[in-house]
Amino acid sequence: MKCARAKPGLLSSYLIDIAGVSKQFQGKRTVTALDSVTLRIERGDMVSIVGPSGSGKSTLLNLIGGLDRPSSGEIRIDGQAIAALSDDDLTRLRRDKIGFIFQFFNLLPSLNCIENVSLPLHLKGWPRKKVRERARQLLEMVQLGHRVDHLPDELSGGERQRVAIARALVFDAPILLADEPTGNLDSATGAEILGLIHDLHRNLGATIVIVTHDADVARSCIRTIALRDAKVVSDERRL
Amino acid sequence: MSRAIWLLFLGSLVAAAQDARALVEEAQKRGVSKSQRYEGVLEVADSGGKVTAKRWVSERLGAWGSSKTILRFTAPAEVKGVALLVLNHPDRSSDQWMWTPAIGRDRRIAMQDRSTRFFGTDFSFEDLEERDVDQSDFKLAGEDAVDGAACWKIEVRPKATRSSQYNRGFIWIRKDNYAAAQVESYVKDRLARRLNYRRIEKVQNVWTARLLEMEDLRRKSKTVMKLEKLEYDIPLKEDDFTVAALRRER
Amino acid sequence: MILLRLISWPYARKHLLRSILTTAGIVLGVALFVGMHTANRSVLGAFNRTVDRIAGSTELQVSAGESGFDEEILERVQAQPEVRIAVPVIEAPVETGLKGQGNLLILAVDMTGDRGLRNYDFEGDDVIDDPLVFLAQPDSLIVSREFADRNGLRLQSKLSMSTMNGPRRFTIRGLMKTGGLASAFGGNLAIMDIYAAQQVFGRGRKFDRIDLAVKEGVTVEQCRAALEKLLGPGFEVGPPGSRGSQFESIVKVFSISSAMSSAFALFIGLFIIYNSFSIAVTERRKEIGILRALGATRGRIRNLFLSEGAAAGIFGSLAGLAAGVLIAKGLSRYVSGLLVDIYSVGERSDEITIDPGLLAWAFAIGVATSVLASFLPARSAARVDPVQALQKGRLQVLSAGENRIRRWLAVTLVAICAACLTLGGSRPVFYVGFFSVIVASLLFTPSLSLWMARALRPALQWMRPIEGALAADSLIQAPRRTSATVTALMMSLAMVIAFNGLAVASYDSIVEWLDSTFNPDLFVNTNRTLGARSFHFPAVIGEQLSAIDGIQTVQGVRTLRVTFRGTPILLVSADLRGIARHTVNPRAVAGDYREMHRLAGEGKGAVVAENLAMLHKLGLGSEVEIASPGGVLRLPVVGVLRDFSDQLGTIFIDTSVYLKYWNDDTVDIFRVYLKKSASAEIVKGRIQERFAGERRLFVLMNTEIKDYVIRLTDQWFAMTHVQTAVAVLVAILGIVNTLTVSIGDRRREIGVLRAVGALNAQVRHTIWMEALAVAFIGLVLGMLLGAVNLYYQLDIVQRDISGLVVAYRFPFMASLWLVPVMLASAFLAALWPGEAAVRSSLVEALEYE
Repeated sequence: MKCARAKPGLLSSYLIDIAGVSKQFQGKRTVTALDSVTLRIERGDMVSIVGPSGSGKSTLLNLIGGLDRPSSGEIRIDGQAIAALSDDDLTRLRRDKIGFIFQFFNLLPSLNCIENVSLPLHLKGWPRKKVRERARQLLEMVQLGHRVDHLPDELSGGERQRVAIARALVFDAPILLADEPTGNLDSATGAEILGLIHDLHRNLGATIVIVTHDADVARSCIRTIALRDAKVVSDERRL
Repeated sequence: MSRAIWLLFLGSLVAAAQDARALVEEAQKRGVSKSQRYEGVLEVADSGGKVTAKRWVSERLGAWGSSKTILRFTAPAEVKGVALLVLNHPDRSSDQWMWTPAIGRDRRIAMQDRSTRFFGTDFSFEDLEERDVDQSDFKLAGEDAVDGAACWKIEVRPKATRSSQYNRGFIWIRKDNYAAAQVESYVKDRLARRLNYRRIEKVQNVWTARLLEMEDLRRKSKTVMKLEKLEYDIPLKEDDFTVAALRRER
Repeated sequence: MILLRLISWPYARKHLLRSILTTAGIVLGVALFVGMHTANRSVLGAFNRTVDRIAGSTELQVSAGESGFDEEILERVQAQPEVRIAVPVIEAPVETGLKGQGNLLILAVDMTGDRGLRNYDFEGDDVIDDPLVFLAQPDSLIVSREFADRNGLRLQSKLSMSTMNGPRRFTIRGLMKTGGLASAFGGNLAIMDIYAAQQVFGRGRKFDRIDLAVKEGVTVEQCRAALEKLLGPGFEVGPPGSRGSQFESIVKVFSISSAMSSAFALFIGLFIIYNSFSIAVTERRKEIGILRALGATRGRIRNLFLSEGAAAGIFGSLAGLAAGVLIAKGLSRYVSGLLVDIYSVGERSDEITIDPGLLAWAFAIGVATSVLASFLPARSAARVDPVQALQKGRLQVLSAGENRIRRWLAVTLVAICAACLTLGGSRPVFYVGFFSVIVASLLFTPSLSLWMARALRPALQWMRPIEGALAADSLIQAPRRTSATVTALMMSLAMVIAFNGLAVASYDSIVEWLDSTFNPDLFVNTNRTLGARSFHFPAVIGEQLSAIDGIQTVQGVRTLRVTFRGTPILLVSADLRGIARHTVNPRAVAGDYREMHRLAGEGKGAVVAENLAMLHKLGLGSEVEIASPGGVLRLPVVGVLRDFSDQLGTIFIDTSVYLKYWNDDTVDIFRVYLKKSASAEIVKGRIQERFAGERRLFVLMNTEIKDYVIRLTDQWFAMTHVQTAVAVLVAILGIVNTLTVSIGDRRREIGVLRAVGALNAQVRHTIWMEALAVAFIGLVLGMLLGAVNLYYQLDIVQRDISGLVVAYRFPFMASLWLVPVMLASAFLAALWPGEAAVRSSLVEALEYE
């Protein structure tokens, strides 16, 4: 691990360390999506990020997930500064440490459930047999062991999100990022998925960050960070 | 050649007015000889004043209008040995052959365009033809003096039946000896060529010009031809005036 | 119009590269069409200009084909009362010792009479320095001022030229002013005395031509009729312009192949445009939905897309016109070079003749192709349902049911084609069959490429579990995106394979022919090559050769171009019995080999080449009729041979017959057989020694001749390389296009892949694999169609182009070569889209619609 340059005192305590991060989008008109945000998330935390549309919460999630790079400021994931990483190193970091759960599931329509779950494993170059075992194990864990060979189109919304969650978990990533995980589901299914996420937090000790509009989802988390106009306006922790 | 030219201009000028025609006929008659031989020197001066000289030997046999002539060039070196055979016919244009030793063959010169200049001189091929008096109309145009000698000035117009580059011309015939003194030829009523007969002497009873000066007024150039060692009525053989004889270089 | 500006232009600008690639096919097609035709016309134009300039005031020309005619004809023509002036001419392109000057056209005339017809605009006042010297010295030459200046020559300068007797030095004795006559043949014109030329070029006492003007009061037609009556059918009497027509029929061969190439490029352009537009319609269905919702009628939408097609066509065609004119110059050099090599009718074409009519045509064809290609997509666009189009994430399937209809149609066409094949025979049936099979293959391609993509999936997945599977899926899920490119690839490869097949088969047949008949040990020729003949040997050389130690047999061959049923074919006169004796593995297409040579040798018949027989439907017993200076030669066909001497056909007659009708005992080439003990090298040396300094001759070894013929064949098939280049271009264009669209369509998919951990290399791999898969499918289908196409192309060549019969042989080597070439092209094409995929923003890719 490249961590030599990290400050020793902060190294172990914070899994996600965001210091003075800003993000501007250059276009005909420069849009500031995040303005000097400083934020620390501890290992094993379960955080919800709320705020109105355009407040910068998705941008924040993308930066945490290493999908995008900040315009200024520093982001450390597990002590590692992402600014110093190459594209491919960033990808490796993402693959090994971060699981994504999207609102629209983002399953590849031409691949069946097990292939979708296997995707990161294959990309990492695991042997085929081991890949298949691991993928099956995860699908069983999300209670989809009977739907292994189905294409995403043949599944319900909740089932699809379970497949997506299974895919996010293949490497036992310490961080799970969920972008409106229930946004595209009816309330019953949404509650079911939320339950599953809570289980993961409890059982696997994963650090979870959820971006959401849904007040119920936000309330179910230990900590809620509110964003407005690109700035953090509140940071509450409930016990 | 001198006589050929001499006569030919008479020939090309024949008359409508009976007395003019009679004058021309008399001039022709006085020039008659059985044969002729001379050495010619031709100087061609172009408008730039550059002069080139050629030499040849000419032999002629036969009567006016149906004579035969052979010309052999002797100088300069590039043309030495080139020979020309001209067979004149009273009723049609002459037949001409040329022998070029370097190529080793004779060729017929197809003289279809008689206004073509004769090998770079100021004479045209037409100027060298022997013509019968019947082919032109003549009219006495007055009296005049050329080089101090009194002459009849006769206007000549080719008859419609015969094509010519000239539409008319004048000939001056000396009153004292019926020798031609000057010829002017017009193309489209513009004076194109003037021929002067100089050094007219009596050789073996024939009044002959020893120097011909042809001036092309359009090109502004002049050809001077001298006739040396002129002889008349020498013995010549018919056999020497054939294409086969032409090939026999001498 | 307003829609075009508001809606289409921003889209085109946004997808600038794709827009450019889309029109590239049109650009290529129009450029090839304009380039080749302009080149051909330029060469033809230059030829006609030369003819014109040389003609002067000539009203009629008398000629007797290539052989020339006896001098005495001139006197007969001159004696004709309708003729005012008639002068002899010999014309010959000759090599000079000057580097990079090409040939010098010698116009040999009789200066004593020629100026009545031609205006020699001489420098200075004087004709030639001295006309008498000009005639007296056979080394005299008059050149144009332009040529003199180009080569630093002045009056009295020496100039070396090839003659009968080897290179000789000539003296410049006159200069012509630039313009008019002096500008003929690009200024490379020299005037010479005709009798000197006869000697220098070994023409004997013959002229090539008589130029004449008619007498006043006589019409050209009257004079022509009178002369035709006087001279008989062996002579051609016509206005100077008619000389162009023979040249034209030679150039036409090039026109056919160039027309094929450009049609082919346009055809491919059609597919590329169709492809791009279909994709654009899919991508822009939302936009179309909005327009429809805002009140645009179906007709309006259709017209919008048709206008886009027209706009693409206009831009592409304009660019094509420009490119075509640019390449025309180089092409015209190539064409004139080839003409000199093969037909010895040299022409310098330094200026390009641009024909506005041709440009207009090319433009119209380019635009029409583009509009035609956009027709189906425009119709689809018009059918877009506004409600469905505006709904999120719902994809209206626009082509449902089309596939089945297409397949049925294809099956029907295949049946028609099979029926045509069994029926065989007539030309329309044959072409209907050909057409059906091509259209059937076009209709089948989408289904076939889909099936093949499905079949490929496991293999690709086995290679790379994710990248491979996704590459295959990309093809399977968007057949429309892929199939047009596959079709274009298939067509171009089918063409490449057919051309290569033709070349390979021709090679084999030609080599076989060379081995069987070109077996003399040495050839003694007037030239370094078998083409371009300005010189002929007198017959006596044959005897002199025979006397050389080591030589057993000498056979003289005279070849000349004659007109047979309106086309310029090759007439070969030789000692046929002698040649028959030496032929190895004699084989006849019709008739008995020995017997036909015996009969022809006795003057009782002619042997014809198979291609002539094919093209003119000749068989044993048919009568061939050739006009000659000595009258019309009529001979029965006593045999048909496979012979590749000439594209347009060859007739063989015996030397005795030629001598009788053409009164010409000159020889172009001596076939020399050596005694068993003699070495070719040594005898070659002896021959050169014997004639050194005395005669211009070239002794060629058997292998040199064969190499020359093979090289010539190569030049003819240079077109094959052009086709391969076009195929590569198509592959690159089509694949870049398809992939550009593909990465656009799969943006989200690629984003997900990257989000869950695909490294840049892995993303690139999936794009590359998709490209390779497209190329692979195109290759397989192209080879299949190529095999069929070759069958038909061989028949077309045989029936309608040159009548040459060559056996079917699939070009395995060339096809094998195509595999790496096409895969490499595909890979090359995938590089940029691969990078684009890696560089694209992840966040945007994952954003919700």
